[in-house]
Amino acid sequence: MKILIADDDPVSRRLLEKTLLQAGYDVLAVPNGMAAAEQLCKQDGPRLALLDWEMPELDGPAVCREVRKKKDQGYVYMILLTSKGLKTDIVTGLGSGADDYLTKPFDSGELKARLRTGQRILHLEGRLVEARENMRFKATHDALTSLFNRGVIMELLGREISRSRRERAPTAILLCDVDHFKNVNDTHGHLIGDEVLREAARRLLLSVRSYDYVGRYGGEEFLIILNNCDPVSAPRRAEEIRRSLSDTPVLTSIGPLLVTMSMGVHQTANWGVQSVEELLHQVDSAMYAAKAAGRNRISFTIPSDTNHVVPSETARSLR
Amino acid sequence: MNVATPEVLNLTELLSRVDNDQELVTELLSIFKSVFPSHLQRLSDAVANEKPQQVEAESHTLKGMLLNLSAARAAAIAADLENLGREKKTAGMSDALTAFQREAEILLLQMESIEFQQ
Repeated sequence: MKILIADDDPVSRRLLEKTLLQAGYDVLAVPNGMAAAEQLCKQDGPRLALLDWEMPELDGPAVCREVRKKKDQGYVYMILLTSKGLKTDIVTGLGSGADDYLTKPFDSGELKARLRTGQRILHLEGRLVEARENMRFKATHDALTSLFNRGVIMELLGREISRSRRERAPTAILLCDVDHFKNVNDTHGHLIGDEVLREAARRLLLSVRSYDYVGRYGGEEFLIILNNCDPVSAPRRAEEIRRSLSDTPVLTSIGPLLVTMSMGVHQTANWGVQSVEELLHQVDSAMYAAKAAGRNRISFTIPSDTNHVVPSETARSLR
Repeated sequence: MNVATPEVLNLTELLSRVDNDQELVTELLSIFKSVFPSHLQRLSDAVANEKPQQVEAESHTLKGMLLNLSAARAAAIAADLENLGREKKTAGMSDALTAFQREAEILLLQMESIEFQQ
């Protein structure tokens, strides 16, 4: 583990460095508090530090305060080294954000034991962060497809429409529904249905740009938001996405299945005053128009509230 | 191995603290000898110019170094100087500095006499 030593006393610095190197640490030794704060505030800086209390320019407690100001990085466990023995000094040191203190001249056994305590705390923090990230992912992503869940994709849609209104930027909203999905479940079982949905999600994700959004809107429905997608490009992009599923059969554990989807598309740079729900209602109607027109095709919403179906290739039946 | 007088430099204690790493002790003594004169000079200047804050800071640094080297007697005098500086008692500083300089001379001689068998 990487550890930082900050001490302006070269004897103490070398003594600590050699002791910790022998204990298996990856040691970074600096001669003052400024250099220590700089290293510890780096995103990939050491997470364990031994700081001398008295240092020119920036002393140990001041380094602790600087490090604690940074909220966007992992926890740094800091031990102050001091020859100050007064209780008030100790209280001041710990109050500055230090986790522990050690009195000079240090005993190497005690030093190593206290560092092990620090490592345990950091390990625990790592596990908590990992658990929090897992929970955050689960709260925002669909368990089956790992796409954004309905709540998140709706929130992103609201944000994106607000941004588009503000900047008068074109955006396209695509609502995709896997054709005859009920038949897949009824014929092959829900596990195969799940495989189809996972693969459909994967292909949708691969067919958009990194800054577009894809979410699972409902059972076999997916909502896609194409940011800054001009009206000329939108039909082509929608067609590419539709074909990402229909062109290649989905390989399932019972063999390949040809799967298609119908898509409703709303694209504009002039958003008017419609609510997100109204827009979704429109795009939903467009998607049903595509279904009604034979499936495996795209239907665009138009301002007059009538849906314009763009014929695609001949609709195929689900096999 | 020529062991120094414990009261001035407790080599047994020092070796024990570094897991009997004689090479490291030699290196630490060498570092001390190279930086000590400039620290002593700054301390002497601070005492002569009656600058208690500088006396406190400089004697604190020297105390830390000396404690790490198990030079307890010199460290105790440095601690006295540090206290005088903190309490801004300039009157006693000159005598304490003289005592420290005397102790430092003996300490440096003891350090010179330390030789480890290979």
